[in-house]
Amino acid sequence: MPHRALALFAATALTVTLTACTAEGGGGTDGGLVGEGTGEDCTIGSPVPVGAALSLTGAAGSYGESQQKGLELAAEQLNAQGGVEYELTVEDDQTDPRQGIAVFEQLTAEDGASVIIGPTLSTGAFQAQPIAQEEGVPVLAISNTVDGITAQGDYIFRDSLTESQVIPRTVAAAKAEYGLEKVVVMYANDDALAEAGGEVFAGALDAEGIDVADTLTFSVADTDFRALLTEAKAADPDALVVSSLIEAAIPLVTQARELGIDVPIIGGNGFNNPKLMADAGDAAEGVVVGAAWNSESESPENTAFLADFEEKNGTQPDQFAAQAYTGLMLIDQAVRSSCSGERDAIKEGLGAIEGVPTVLGELTINDERDAEHEAVVQVVEDGKFAVLE
Amino acid sequence: MQQLLNGLFIGSIYALFAVGFALVFGILDRLNLAHPAVFAASAFIGIELVTVGGLPFWAALPAVAVVGALLGLIVERVAFRPLKGRPDAHFAGLISSIAVAGMLIALLQWRYGAETRRFPADAFPATRFDVLGAQVTLLQVVIVAVCLTLVVGLTWLVARSRLGRGMRAVAENPTAARVLGVNVDRVTATTFAISAALGAVAGALFAMNVNSAQLGMGSAIELKGLAVIVVGGMGSLPGALVGGLLLGVSEVFAVQYLGSAWRDLIAFALLFGILLLRPQGLFGGRRARQV
Amino acid sequence: MLTESTVTFIALGAIFAFSFYAVLNAGQLSLGQAGFASVAAYTSVLVAPDPDVVGDVPALLVALAIGMTAGATAAVVLGLPTMHLRGVFLAIATLGFAEAVRIFVLNAEWTGGAQGMSVPKVVTPAIAWIVLAVVAYWFWRSAPTRYGRALEAIREDELAAGAMGIDVGRHRLGAFVTAGAVAGLYGVLWAYTVRLVGPADFGFTAAIDGLVTAMVGGTTVFVGPVLGSTFLTLVPEIQRALGVEAGWIRPFVAGLLLLVVILFLPGGLAGRIPRRLRVPDIAADADSGGADGEHPELRTRVHAPRGDVVVRLTGLSKDYGGVHAVRDVDLEIHSGELLGLIGPNGAGKTTLVNMISGLVPPSWGEASVLGVTAGRTPVHRVAAAGVSRTFQHSKLFGRLSALENVLVGGHLVTRPTLVRRLLWLPSARRDERAALTHAARCLDRVGMLDAATTRANALSYGDQRRLEIARALAADPSLLILDEPAAGMNQVEAGELARLIRSLADDGLAVLLIEHNVGLVRQICDRVVVLDFGEVIASGVPSDVAADPRVVEAYLGTEA
Repeated sequence: MPHRALALFAATALTVTLTACTAEGGGGTDGGLVGEGTGEDCTIGSPVPVGAALSLTGAAGSYGESQQKGLELAAEQLNAQGGVEYELTVEDDQTDPRQGIAVFEQLTAEDGASVIIGPTLSTGAFQAQPIAQEEGVPVLAISNTVDGITAQGDYIFRDSLTESQVIPRTVAAAKAEYGLEKVVVMYANDDALAEAGGEVFAGALDAEGIDVADTLTFSVADTDFRALLTEAKAADPDALVVSSLIEAAIPLVTQARELGIDVPIIGGNGFNNPKLMADAGDAAEGVVVGAAWNSESESPENTAFLADFEEKNGTQPDQFAAQAYTGLMLIDQAVRSSCSGERDAIKEGLGAIEGVPTVLGELTINDERDAEHEAVVQVVEDGKFAVLE
Repeated sequence: MQQLLNGLFIGSIYALFAVGFALVFGILDRLNLAHPAVFAASAFIGIELVTVGGLPFWAALPAVAVVGALLGLIVERVAFRPLKGRPDAHFAGLISSIAVAGMLIALLQWRYGAETRRFPADAFPATRFDVLGAQVTLLQVVIVAVCLTLVVGLTWLVARSRLGRGMRAVAENPTAARVLGVNVDRVTATTFAISAALGAVAGALFAMNVNSAQLGMGSAIELKGLAVIVVGGMGSLPGALVGGLLLGVSEVFAVQYLGSAWRDLIAFALLFGILLLRPQGLFGGRRARQV
Repeated sequence: MLTESTVTFIALGAIFAFSFYAVLNAGQLSLGQAGFASVAAYTSVLVAPDPDVVGDVPALLVALAIGMTAGATAAVVLGLPTMHLRGVFLAIATLGFAEAVRIFVLNAEWTGGAQGMSVPKVVTPAIAWIVLAVVAYWFWRSAPTRYGRALEAIREDELAAGAMGIDVGRHRLGAFVTAGAVAGLYGVLWAYTVRLVGPADFGFTAAIDGLVTAMVGGTTVFVGPVLGSTFLTLVPEIQRALGVEAGWIRPFVAGLLLLVVILFLPGGLAGRIPRRLRVPDIAADADSGGADGEHPELRTRVHAPRGDVVVRLTGLSKDYGGVHAVRDVDLEIHSGELLGLIGPNGAGKTTLVNMISGLVPPSWGEASVLGVTAGRTPVHRVAAAGVSRTFQHSKLFGRLSALENVLVGGHLVTRPTLVRRLLWLPSARRDERAALTHAARCLDRVGMLDAATTRANALSYGDQRRLEIARALAADPSLLILDEPAAGMNQVEAGELARLIRSLADDGLAVLLIEHNVGLVRQICDRVVVLDFGEVIASGVPSDVAADPRVVEAYLGTEA
């Protein structure tokens, strides 16, 4: 009988319990988070801890990286502005639910963050955000676009428009422009965001009375779409409707043109990325993108953001970066509104956001804690996004 | 017709990827799970050679093969050679190669970031042909030609050359091969290098073909590679070629006749059928266990 | 550093790793566990009652029961057609199954596709560790039983395990179903921990995770999965606590650590934990237990009376692709007879005994052995009929101790103790002790009791040969086949061996001895059969055979 093994087993269990206990302790620094003054004059003694749980590595690594750049730019600018300092901690959930949950638990610990940003993916959001809800820590989702995120509780907010806020408009605008009667729908069915988008597209097309000749699904990791596109081409549609992320969007668009499919290609949030034109080149012409962020907007916020981002990172931002950047700006707004970096104050502040000018446009958080701002329908013309009226 | 060609093009890349897998498995009886990471790494390195190094695509391809071979040597030295002679070398090799793959992907992310990269649009002439009403690009023709050349060349190498004799001797019985004066370590390392070089060329061609290179591109093709070598017969090189083409074509026809949702099931339905009916694969020889 | 979820995930990871341990311990590599977990998670979430209605714990218990059943059922369904596959082939086939499940889940309506299904969070760290304790208990208690040893024997050498009377197919399927049930538990716990089950959680990455955890922990000692999971779950936590910057460096370090463990800790983290086995004091036992073979705890075999025919070969032939390895052999072996089988290298001796012991089916002819037809009956049945053997190239269970090797040899005469050991019934202890005593006696008979705790692959060549004989004897056979037992022994050792073999025949066994040492054969055998080019060229008492001109020619012509 392996007694030693048993002892080891018990010792492991004991250590686990002991360490778990010590993690509970630790005092909060909340006392220093209440400041003086209001709005722009607000001054808070201690830095406000902001936690971000993003997917920096693993399958969703490219989005997380982009979000991190947006957040870091915002934090830099806010801290330079003075009065309130933000202590931004970006944590990696490795696109793994276990890590996502562990990160949230650490951020919601007593001396943890005042507000949490993230996680990157919607599935991870459903797994991790309830922890913050239970602990009473406000969460601002910056990229979750499926329905039901904010319905998880009154501490969950988001600044990303849902697919159902964007897609119906896109379909309507495209129908008006191109007189669509028959389309083929394509979406990645093993990715929550893309699949949800595909479902919303189907509903919107139905509402507009557009006939769906065929629905084709693929995997989020796919890059060769020739077989599907050949199939789509055979249906002779007026447009291709695609719900996918940018990784799939570029090869899909390129290969569609290569196979001689010249009809408009209609995409969702995932397509809203300057890389589409940079990497797909001429093939991107005529792609219609319904999105939460108008990258060509000439609002002062957006112009400055584009310039600053490019200066800091040497690349153009995408929608993930823009929404992340906006997220921290909104948090600043919430903190300054009552001049407090405490959790409940931030929660109240986020709920009260109304008509704030941001990179995404004038933004309001509604009663369902979802963001409302203008969505934009764009079409690629001469290598640039142009607004499709 | 278009679909058949689509299937052949994607199938030839599956084949090139799987041949590398099959070579190591057939000769050394080891499954090298770092192969997909080499596949991804070489795509990124190829892109850098073209964009930063300014090499034309046709010159970058051999360079990528050399880089791949070096990676193969590293994988062999780090993940497989230290396990030699251990009773659990078979399973431990799976794990150590997974570890090396993880490290390789992490290094790639450090060097290139997590974003998708691609060859510049003008890296290869976008010439298109019209074959019996189907669209074919020059690139696709080149891919099939390269794949066939490499696989046929490799088969010849194993069957005819001195190195190939060494490989076959090691495959039969490493101990006996050593007694007969074969430098088993060198043959093993060479096998890994060749296998990785093939995987590297496959990676670069794949990235070029689909206009996209991602950190996860290796794991996306990994399962299909495994299916191909089982279908073709573990360790059989012509089997891997035929298996790859067969898989490519059946996937395409699955899209056409079963619906795209079930396409990825085809690889495994094929695999399952083969395992049950003909466990040695289409081209695999039966290896009898001796008492 | 250690939050509630980390503690929970250590337990969950360990449970999942146990489902890999269950098969790896029996020498099989399966990657289908993620599929079993997926089937179990979705089934139980669909069928189990709502925790809000019936309470958390009852709901979870029902869900766990459903999950276990679903996982085990899936394993049976997958196992029946794939159990004949080996090594990587089995791994890939099971992986294919897991992928098929994933694709089905993505496409089915009720599963919520990629967006998954939301599940209430019920699992607490305590619940997770209790389930882990139950699972670990199973593997802890089952390891030193007849069943547990049989699985390990299959891992070490499947062929030899079959020849010891172990039904390899059934045991492999058993291990596979255990893996399915444990994976099922994991799937249910996972679902009720993370609040949302999605197909992505049960993909290829998950399977590889489980395999890595099991291998890192070690697959031969039951604490392995727990250690592996603790290590791998804590690696990211420690990195975070140490302030290692998030991003590429963390997976790099994790990969490096994994590599170090695999390369420098053979047998995993638990590999250094010694296996302990008490060697019974047979002298003391003999006083209380009575004479050899009269233990009520052991199954006894009725041996054929001295002089009865135990083997009858008629026209037995074997072709290998046109080469006649054995041609038209007629032969009888009687109880209590020591029959020598000699012949030059390649004469077909080993092929002949392989046919008699049922490992190789004959091309023509019939081998009737102790009432069964060898070659048409599974190997373990032939063994059960009373055939036991050694192998020309030692086929010991290398990583098991000498005593454990002999215990496996006693598979057929000992009783199953698994269920009773799980329940701590005293009779199980008695039976295990009887089995140990029996094994120790067999070791003693070949003079190797001193080496009882030595690992078989650490023994000298001569000792390995003797251990094989002890293992074969432990089955209490009616027919003992010894394939070149004296090879590699010195004069003294060979002499002792000769006396031992003779005494076995004198006890009433039929012994078939293949030997190159013609002197030894002449000295002890009752009768000798000479094989050349697959044919019997002479047979009779040793002195006559030695004088046979054909025999002299065969030997001088080929060897001398």
